[in-house]
Amino acid sequence: MSVAREEHNFEPLIVAFCCNWCSYAGGDLAGTSRMSYPPNARVIRVPCSSRVSPNFILRAFQRGADGVLVAGCHPGDCHYITGNYHARRRLSILRRFLGFMGVEPERFEVHWISASEGGKFAEVMTEMPEKIRALGPNRKLRDAR
Amino acid sequence: MRRIGVFICWCGANIAGTVDIEKVVEESKKIPGVAYAGEYRYMCSEIGQDMIRDTIIEQNLDRVVVAACSPRMHEPTFRRAAESAGLNPYLVQMANIREHCSWVHKDEEEATRKAVALVRTAVAKASRSVELFSQEIPVERRALVLGGGIAGIQAALDIADAGYEVDLVEKSPTIGGRMAQLDKTFPTLDCSACILTPKMVDASSHPNINLFTWSEVEQVEGYVGNFTVTIRKKARFVDEEKCTGCGDCFEKCPSKVDSEFDEGLVQRKAIYVPFPQAVPNVPVIDKENCRWFVKEKCRVCEKVCEAEAVDLEQEDELLEKRYGAVVVATGFDVLGLEEFGEFNYGKHPDIITSLEFERLVNASGPTGGKLLRPSNQEPPRNVVFVQCVGSRDKSRGKPYCSKICCMYTAKHTVLLKEKYPQSQAYVFYIDVRTGGKDFEEFHRRAVEENDAIYLRGQVGKVFPEGDKLLVEGVDSLSGKTVQIEADMVVLAAAMVPRTDAPEIARLLTLGTDAHSFFTEAHPKLRPVETHSAGVFLAGACQGPKDIPEAVAQASGSASKALGILSKETLLSDPCVSKVDESLCTGCLMCIDVCPYHAITEKTIEEKVHGEVVKRVVAEVNEAVCQGCGACSVACRPGAMNVKGFSNEQILAEVDAVCL
Amino acid sequence: MKNLQDTIREIAAQSLARGEVELVIGWEKGDLWWQSYPAFIEEEKEADRLIWDPLCVPNLSRYLLQELSEMDEKKIALFVKGCDALAFNQLLQDNRTVRERVVLYGIPCDGLVDPSKLEREGLDRDLQEVERDGEELVLKAAAGEEKRVPAKDYLYDKCLTCRYPNPVAYDQMLGETVPVEPEERFTGVRKLEELDYEDRFSYWAEQFSRCIRCFACRNVCPACSCIKCVFDLQEPRWLGKATEPSENAFYHIIRAYHVAGRCVDCGECSRVCPVDIPLQELNRKIILDINELYGEYDAGVDPEQEAPLITYKTDDPAAFTES
Repeated sequence: MSVAREEHNFEPLIVAFCCNWCSYAGGDLAGTSRMSYPPNARVIRVPCSSRVSPNFILRAFQRGADGVLVAGCHPGDCHYITGNYHARRRLSILRRFLGFMGVEPERFEVHWISASEGGKFAEVMTEMPEKIRALGPNRKLRDAR
Repeated sequence: MRRIGVFICWCGANIAGTVDIEKVVEESKKIPGVAYAGEYRYMCSEIGQDMIRDTIIEQNLDRVVVAACSPRMHEPTFRRAAESAGLNPYLVQMANIREHCSWVHKDEEEATRKAVALVRTAVAKASRSVELFSQEIPVERRALVLGGGIAGIQAALDIADAGYEVDLVEKSPTIGGRMAQLDKTFPTLDCSACILTPKMVDASSHPNINLFTWSEVEQVEGYVGNFTVTIRKKARFVDEEKCTGCGDCFEKCPSKVDSEFDEGLVQRKAIYVPFPQAVPNVPVIDKENCRWFVKEKCRVCEKVCEAEAVDLEQEDELLEKRYGAVVVATGFDVLGLEEFGEFNYGKHPDIITSLEFERLVNASGPTGGKLLRPSNQEPPRNVVFVQCVGSRDKSRGKPYCSKICCMYTAKHTVLLKEKYPQSQAYVFYIDVRTGGKDFEEFHRRAVEENDAIYLRGQVGKVFPEGDKLLVEGVDSLSGKTVQIEADMVVLAAAMVPRTDAPEIARLLTLGTDAHSFFTEAHPKLRPVETHSAGVFLAGACQGPKDIPEAVAQASGSASKALGILSKETLLSDPCVSKVDESLCTGCLMCIDVCPYHAITEKTIEEKVHGEVVKRVVAEVNEAVCQGCGACSVACRPGAMNVKGFSNEQILAEVDAVCL
Repeated sequence: MKNLQDTIREIAAQSLARGEVELVIGWEKGDLWWQSYPAFIEEEKEADRLIWDPLCVPNLSRYLLQELSEMDEKKIALFVKGCDALAFNQLLQDNRTVRERVVLYGIPCDGLVDPSKLEREGLDRDLQEVERDGEELVLKAAAGEEKRVPAKDYLYDKCLTCRYPNPVAYDQMLGETVPVEPEERFTGVRKLEELDYEDRFSYWAEQFSRCIRCFACRNVCPACSCIKCVFDLQEPRWLGKATEPSENAFYHIIRAYHVAGRCVDCGECSRVCPVDIPLQELNRKIILDINELYGEYDAGVDPEQEAPLITYKTDDPAAFTES
């Protein structure tokens, strides 16, 4: 049941790790506000952006994700006080490293989305697929079997 | 093989309007491990919950997925439903097909496809879910209140009145805080001391309240229900039991320093009681300024004390106390005005802050309540009040509104007119904000009955000329430059947290905003709680507020604290980290990234090749851990895992979501 | 003047004789000229097995992992070059060694010989011994012939960029400190960064395609000191067993990431790779980014300093589209 993956009619699949307290709640707000965005991203709820291991991100690419998003509380507003500060360092290093490996940076993004930013959630969910659509399906790091 | 039940909610037309429920049911049945898939109009209704309960029993289900609204909405509901069927509540997972699907996607086919993917992902997570159990944590049924201002006093009284013991710790020699410095209170013009001092006395005489003035918290360990706090009771050098409060000691003390209580407008002695109504009414020796401690000469106070209460050999005491809950009410300071050279604050005695003005109009103040110019002790005629000094000022001060300045300035104009009917108040303002009960009426009274002249604009310069002050400003409504010859200029300096707020935040693992105000757990729905369970906020330490707001928040905090103290045990959230000791290498990086100090090291013994060896591993205190998972990512071998958001679960979700 | 090798033997013999330590870890000669292997000396009379020559490249610190766990509370003497000392400090920071139980003898190191560079020019023929004499290598052949070549041309690349040839941790330093004149170490990384994303990917895909998952890079690494590696877990299964391209990439990315902020840049991973994957460049890319984003940090120099990926500053920069 995956998103259509034919090259000519390509719809990117995006795995979005959203922290429970801010970004997931921001997604809920986008819903309750009846905002509209394309269905490319599927959200995996995590307690905090600091829970997102690079292993999960690589696993998503391996299993066929065309893009991965990590969304957390704005720096300074972490529900767990400092989690997103750790995430910011970890994921900055990972993003540059994936770029070094040849993965286009557009395919791995981190955004800070607060519980009150339903609009921003919808915006990110709209813009990220657009950018990835332009790049085409991801074959890098993908399990070819 | 698992027996997973999938329950799909229509949410009336909220989900069913966009998602083809039948199709989701059909597709759910095809997912490996799914033994049952059904739908209902409102899963959260009593009938829906009964359906879940009955189906779990009838179908012998071992895991449950509810595809409905956000888990932030109804996860507890469905967990309870499963529990009523004898299933561990943590074996329930939700697929959010409303907020994250039907409400945001218009195309039915796309929305349905996504709903199926979300169900599949939730099934994958459910199949990797394990039973989780809360721990019972015994509660130490005593409270700590930090800060003895009006908020701290109120919180302490409320908790004590409910029958629980409270320790009230105050850094300065007396309780009372900022409110003790004020003259009248807006908008009723109640005498501040008249309404505060009875409360101070209540607090000190309450059988359930222990006062620790001249004391500071030095260390905090533990967690909700079980805090262990080290309090430093600083040496007062006066025996509280023996002292009669006669005052001979500070009469005779030869050392003088600026009085903190009187905002430096007058001097106090090195041995002093901050103000006559201080509680406790026991002097304290300020070591930095005492001749004996500085030069080893003097001991006059000791000689004159007939009660032999002065004890210069006294030492700081460290007390270790246990509490179930903590209320933080550490209050505010006034912004330093070094950055605001145009006002020449500190360069001329008649240029003062609003708090200094409070002291000058106060009957217990340096002039006995006669409002006189500090420069020449003459009554002022023209007084210029400047609002927003450092507030709403991104570039040099603070971006926020200090909230109380508009009202206390209106009060000051009224008090000025009361004392000197011939006087004239000028107020420079950006906006006048009078949100509050009777606030606008009070402000109108200042303008209409007391003829205060309000000028919308900013002051460019204040400088002395002769024995007057020249105030140059702009009246932005008329566009004209204004020059006022003033006898006194009063600056409404911004409210800021106490300078030691970051240290308090560190001790109690509280969040702070960019200005070091403590952060509440939720700005709307959890305004007195913090992210540290069992620690609550009251008063201006959380943000600028007036007295009634501080008092209301204090009572709110007290009731939250009582919510803990009234129980013998608490149930912990089991969704926290745990260590697999067989995998732990003992690098202890988890300790460094844990915001709650929930991880410690311990030495274990294990058998390797028949020999017993010792090694160090990490250990999680489940009562302290909040389950953020920062440790689990810092842990390379994967020894640290988060229950309810485990590596196994998230990997399964990733695999399923990408199918 | 006594040469370093004599000093090493003397110290080993003495400390065993006096009972200061129960084990000395140094190097000994194998059968062939290029073989300088770790030696584990427990008896005084064995001390003469120890050698020091320009081929003593194996990092001895890592052997402490095994030896310390076996010899409860006993003390060990260890000879450390610059890179070995960094490795020791990293193990210390990771709680994988005990400072009090190890006596460190520091060896200032002016670079070690890469046998493949000699082989490439046919200089290995009949070779029996390699000695260092100032700026030159003395190649001694079987027939007693000697040949002198400029040392610099035959040192490991990693030695040419070495920034800590003098040990940063030691109880006693043996020999004179050597001058520190490293070549730029990020040249390789910067060159790869000139490629576009497609070419970068192709480059690494080709490199990783050779990986046989022998785990030598992991086993030699002083920052890979876990008792049980995450890649060996059965449950959860983070990494498939097949040497499939994406699995290989996953392994190398995560391995580099696991040593992020902890890699001492000793280059042993590249050296031991049997299929010559330039693994050190992966680590160096991360070192470069950490330095750029979060301030210069040299793992292994000060074990008390907080590693960059377990700390933060509230105003840290980010490398995302949204900063």
